[in-house]
Amino acid sequence: MLSTRHLTGIKNITEADIQLIFQTAEEFKEVINRPIKKVPSLRDMTVANLFFENSTRTRVSFELAERRLSADIVNFSASASSVSKGETLLDTVNNILAMKVDMVVMRHPAPGACAFLANKIKANIVNAGDGTHEHPTQALLDAFSMREHLGDLAGKKICIFGDILHSRVALSNIFCLQKLGAHVKVCGPPTLIPKHIGGLGVGVEHDVRKALEWCDVANILRIQLERQDIRYFPSLREYSQYFGINKALLDSLGKQILIMHPGPINRGVEITSDVADSEHSLILQQVENGVAIRMAVLYLLANQ
Amino acid sequence: MQNKVILIQNALILHPESSFHQKKMDVLIDGGMIKKIGSGLEKPSEATVISGEGAFLAPGFIDVGIQVCDPGMEHREDVHSAAAAAAFGGFTAVAVFPNTSPVLHSKSELAYIRKKSENLPVEFKVIGALTRDCKGEEISEMYDMHSAGAVAFSDGQKSIKNADVMLKSLHYVKAFGGLVMNHPFDKAVASGGQMHEGLTSTGLGMKGIPSISEELMLVRDLYLLEYSGSRLHATNISTAQSVELIRQAKSRGLQVSASVAAINLAFDDRAVEDFDTFMKVQPPLREQHDIEALKAGLQDGTIDFISSNHVPYDEEAKNLEFPYAEFGAIGLETAVAVANTYGGLSPEQLVEKFALMPRRVLKMELPKIAENVSAELTLFQPGLDWIYSSAEVFSKSGNSPFLGKKLRGKTLAVFNKGQSQIF
Repeated sequence: MLSTRHLTGIKNITEADIQLIFQTAEEFKEVINRPIKKVPSLRDMTVANLFFENSTRTRVSFELAERRLSADIVNFSASASSVSKGETLLDTVNNILAMKVDMVVMRHPAPGACAFLANKIKANIVNAGDGTHEHPTQALLDAFSMREHLGDLAGKKICIFGDILHSRVALSNIFCLQKLGAHVKVCGPPTLIPKHIGGLGVGVEHDVRKALEWCDVANILRIQLERQDIRYFPSLREYSQYFGINKALLDSLGKQILIMHPGPINRGVEITSDVADSEHSLILQQVENGVAIRMAVLYLLANQ
Repeated sequence: MQNKVILIQNALILHPESSFHQKKMDVLIDGGMIKKIGSGLEKPSEATVISGEGAFLAPGFIDVGIQVCDPGMEHREDVHSAAAAAAFGGFTAVAVFPNTSPVLHSKSELAYIRKKSENLPVEFKVIGALTRDCKGEEISEMYDMHSAGAVAFSDGQKSIKNADVMLKSLHYVKAFGGLVMNHPFDKAVASGGQMHEGLTSTGLGMKGIPSISEELMLVRDLYLLEYSGSRLHATNISTAQSVELIRQAKSRGLQVSASVAAINLAFDDRAVEDFDTFMKVQPPLREQHDIEALKAGLQDGTIDFISSNHVPYDEEAKNLEFPYAEFGAIGLETAVAVANTYGGLSPEQLVEKFALMPRRVLKMELPKIAENVSAELTLFQPGLDWIYSSAEVFSKSGNSPFLGKKLRGKTLAVFNKGQSQIF
């Protein structure tokens, strides 16, 4: 049993929760590699996917997970601006719940939006990304993928590269990896690193080479141009030159490190194609594991 | 209640300018006048008796800088509801900020507030808009508003962004000895900020309001003050460094005063941890060391007085995702109790911070405690524990983070303008 009814973030779940999700995901990973990929676990349950912000891969991944668990699905997509003009989030969700929905998977641009709902409605809530706060299933699938290659993550060194300031993935990754005993650093231009991040027990590095030399895994985040209302660095050209990761740089390290990226990739900006497509890249494996992790989360929450 | 005979028995009188200061006395009030002060006064047959045991009787408290929302947003608050909330909190007077619609920026808006409040037991003073429409561009007719009774000039919730406008204002009010009030907050370095910038905001992924957003503008204001030789009040400071800046400015002899909002003495930024929008206030809840510095500033006189920072918002503006909710909490009903609970202040200091110093800063006369003067008094029991419930929300808005919380110290009665209210 999980210690929570909702998955709003990694911060408020326990290490035992994380391990249980991993165990369950291993079983589901085996299921989705069978010829018949479906199990009846969530039959008779209705899941609403509420996406108040654009998303392709996360939404598809959740939808696949739900379908493979035989859940009924309702999809609701709206830009938050059109919702905020009229109906409030609470009203929108209550309307959907009045149609007897059991679980809500929500993406929303406001940090804390899932916690806000969790306090007010009965259905189980899964956070599929709330603004710059958390993206718990991404962190779980990232750690799950690392674990497949490195085994126990305790003592392993993971560096997160790029736009830490605007990233919910970074925050969830930090909480998740720390709970599993890993050491975490962040690396990027100082304008994209929160001033107080050190207080979370995270090392800070601005030199990409030094950070790569230190780590076992490089988790490279997308430059979120759409989240930047003002410029945090002068140009993409300069960014890729000084903070991007390319093959020559990796080859010069004299060791192999795993390359991860939550997608979608800005090829040639934070990561070059030859790195993204290399044998040490876990990027597509992350996508596969995403479905298994989300099946595990939905299954475990449904059984609360 | 009007023109009643009331006998307060055994109340400690706290008024440094009264000959009864720190004496336990009976006080007889008749027709809004203090008729008699003495020991063991005989109870007139028609008198209502209030026991003042454990309570103190002080000049009525005044709250400087409330959002009254009237005219313009009367569904959130109006002059009548603000008066009821103020009286319950122990205030016999309030000074309202000009952020109404229309803005309180000429003598006709002042007349509206005066007219609407004239029969209420709470006196309403106006802090006139420093700039037309509180837009921060052209200075308003401050001399005319001063002549019509405005006690100070400020754009209230809006900080004066333009240094030249600030400088011109500081210069201009010297003609009539006026006071400029500014809440130091440089929005540009707090772009999109939702709460204090620190470890808590980082862990919540929330954009922060760094302490320097306050301190930068305070430094600017103090430079402009020194240059102009005028008078300035820094409204609702919240950081340790701001306290230090005011302390240094005072020791250099600048005519500067400062206030702190009661809620900023009570909670630090961790109160926002579960995205409680009632804890979303401006200035934001800072850190524990800031609270300690603010309390030390109150002790040594660096911070002159405490405000309620009363900002009413309806449910529609607060029951939202955190970034979409408005900044502000109501505070009239609770500010004195909150300061008493969390501020580390003696009863004498409470009187100083809520009755004496705000009036001194605004150059207002202090109500007297003597025989044959009109009664403007607050009877407050500092040791009484109570739980603030929704039945005690007199404001039209209920956005208080103290609802359901235990507070120490409660107003027993207020007296002003010939009226009395006993709680």
